[in-house]
Amino acid sequence: MRVLLVEDDLKIASFISKGLKEAGLAVDHSADGEDGLHLALNEPYDAAIIDIMLPKLDGLSLIEILRQQNINTPVLILSAKRSVDDRVKGLQTGGDDYLIKPFAFSELLARIQALIRRASAVTEPTSLKTGDLSVDLLTREVTRGRGKIDLQPREFALLEYLMRNEGKVVSKTMILEHVWDFSFDPQTNVVDVLVSRLRSKVDRDFEPKMIHTVRGVGYVLRAS
Amino acid sequence: MFLGPLKQITKTVGFRLTLWYFAILISTSLLLFGLTYFLLSASLKKQDKNAIELKLEELSGLYMAEGMAALKNEVAVQKKFERNPSFFVRLAGPQSKTQLLILPYQWMQFDIKALERVKAFETSTWSYLPLQDHGYQLEVLSMPLGGGYLLQVGKTSEVRERMLNHFRETFALVMFPLILLGFIGGMIVSRRALGPIRHLIKTVRSIDAGKMDARVLRPQTGDELDELVMLFNGMLTKIESLINGMKDSLDNVAHDLRTPMARLRGIAEMALQSDQGEDNLRDALADSLEESERILTMLNALMDISEAETGAMKLDLRPINAASLIEGVVDVYRYVAEDKGIDVQTEVPNALFLVGDPMRLGQVLGNLLDNAIKYTPKGGRVDIEAHQSQKGIVILVRDTGIGINPEERPRIWDRLYRGDQSRSQRGLGLGLSLVKAIVQAHNGEVEALSGPGRGSTFRITFPS
Repeated sequence: MRVLLVEDDLKIASFISKGLKEAGLAVDHSADGEDGLHLALNEPYDAAIIDIMLPKLDGLSLIEILRQQNINTPVLILSAKRSVDDRVKGLQTGGDDYLIKPFAFSELLARIQALIRRASAVTEPTSLKTGDLSVDLLTREVTRGRGKIDLQPREFALLEYLMRNEGKVVSKTMILEHVWDFSFDPQTNVVDVLVSRLRSKVDRDFEPKMIHTVRGVGYVLRAS
Repeated sequence: MFLGPLKQITKTVGFRLTLWYFAILISTSLLLFGLTYFLLSASLKKQDKNAIELKLEELSGLYMAEGMAALKNEVAVQKKFERNPSFFVRLAGPQSKTQLLILPYQWMQFDIKALERVKAFETSTWSYLPLQDHGYQLEVLSMPLGGGYLLQVGKTSEVRERMLNHFRETFALVMFPLILLGFIGGMIVSRRALGPIRHLIKTVRSIDAGKMDARVLRPQTGDELDELVMLFNGMLTKIESLINGMKDSLDNVAHDLRTPMARLRGIAEMALQSDQGEDNLRDALADSLEESERILTMLNALMDISEAETGAMKLDLRPINAASLIEGVVDVYRYVAEDKGIDVQTEVPNALFLVGDPMRLGQVLGNLLDNAIKYTPKGGRVDIEAHQSQKGIVILVRDTGIGINPEERPRIWDRLYRGDQSRSQRGLGLGLSLVKAIVQAHNGEVEALSGPGRGSTFRITFPS
């Protein structure tokens, strides 16, 4: 999988490149819009991450030209503007997703992988399995080892989300948006409470523990 | 050098208005005078001609009745006894020979010879003898009497012309003050009419110079200009409050972010200074991340508050089902409340709809519910209730928690204010400010009804 990154801030570019490479993706970086457009027109990419404020050619124009040339590489827009209008404008221009700076790298990774997955049209699995934990998405049955586990709807949604992102850290914001479809920051940590409930059902009486807290970043589910 | 300012004056609306007023006044007076003059002169002319005709008829009647001798006799008598005859009379025989003539002394200058050339055969004819440089003329009516005789009666237009002359002079005399009056009147009218505009210009200039509180003086006349001034002042007030709001919120943001920034810096500095193990460094990094997360949350909240307060917040207004909005928010907090042993109950009629931005109203209810759960002890109860009242749609969030002191109640809406009892809890001190700002951006009202120990009730009213 090959990703194009067009970002003029070299520090941000280097941490994104590093993170994406660690996640097993090949990354080409260009620091201005014209160079980025040249690469996007001439190389095949599975996804592109494009900043809006760029020297020489701004990100929205870049995307517009790509779409006019019928290049349908999925594009994730990076922007410091957080208004709904800017977001809508970005998506209307031809962007596929929109991420506001500052962002958690784990969120960027998850979004890029989701874009690639969507573009390659992988068939949806009907069940998920991590170690001895398995989830049947049709019957909504959860088992660990031999025992069946009863989960409430939100707990199930969280487990499903963690398992779909197995091995990847998901942030609290991402959980909030996926589990409740709610986009504001509650002051009380409702995510912590939900995670600890899920843990008590899925992890407490079992070994090894699967749900891990990555302090300051979020949560990750791993088989070991 | 002199033409410069003159050119500028002629460009002003005031000058043009003055000119218009002046032109209308003068042309109306001229028209009026012209008409009067024309009518007067026509009627005087007619009067003169009538007099001549009458005289002619009198003399010709005499001739018809009593013959030439009687006519000659009458004319001779008149000539003899009238000291100052008011008519010119001439009787011409065949070959235009003058046989009788009454020519008043003062009309001697007229060239009577010209009358000898008048040939009248069947009907009476008018002839006019002008007098050089005097502006009046001798008007003569000639009438054939038969037998080659021609009777001529005439009169000068002097009296008439003198009268008309006098009339013209009087008008010219009146015209001078009228011109002056027209100009002054025009100036007064234009000054009065444009007064508010001049105030407007002055105000805009002083705002340009940085005096944001300058306002235009209202003429209080209730006309269009008065309305314009009122609207303009209203607009200025709105702009001023927007600018002040922006300034204030910028100051606040700068101030409020300093504290968490200082903490962030402190954490990083401490980690770098001492010789610590990897675990401690990891902790420090995680702390930094959490702190930066808090800064971001705070920044977003502050931006939201100032956007909502200044009216710059874009609301995605649509009809929302109150029950599903409230259920959605309660759902987020369900487990938190359960863990704390707090019973959250909702009472919302099914078909209750309000118009608002679902995301923003979710934020409002989320913050209120967050507070209610935070400040209610274990085993307590939180009720969310919505209903339609006469004033509009009312949403109540009621808890059995610690309540709010009456002294504190007005201050809970302030940015970053945290009551004594709330310091022990996590929070930014921005939740209620945001609630109030968003509700007000929806034209709603929010108030806190509470007493210490009795729990708190927050009441939101959206006018319908």
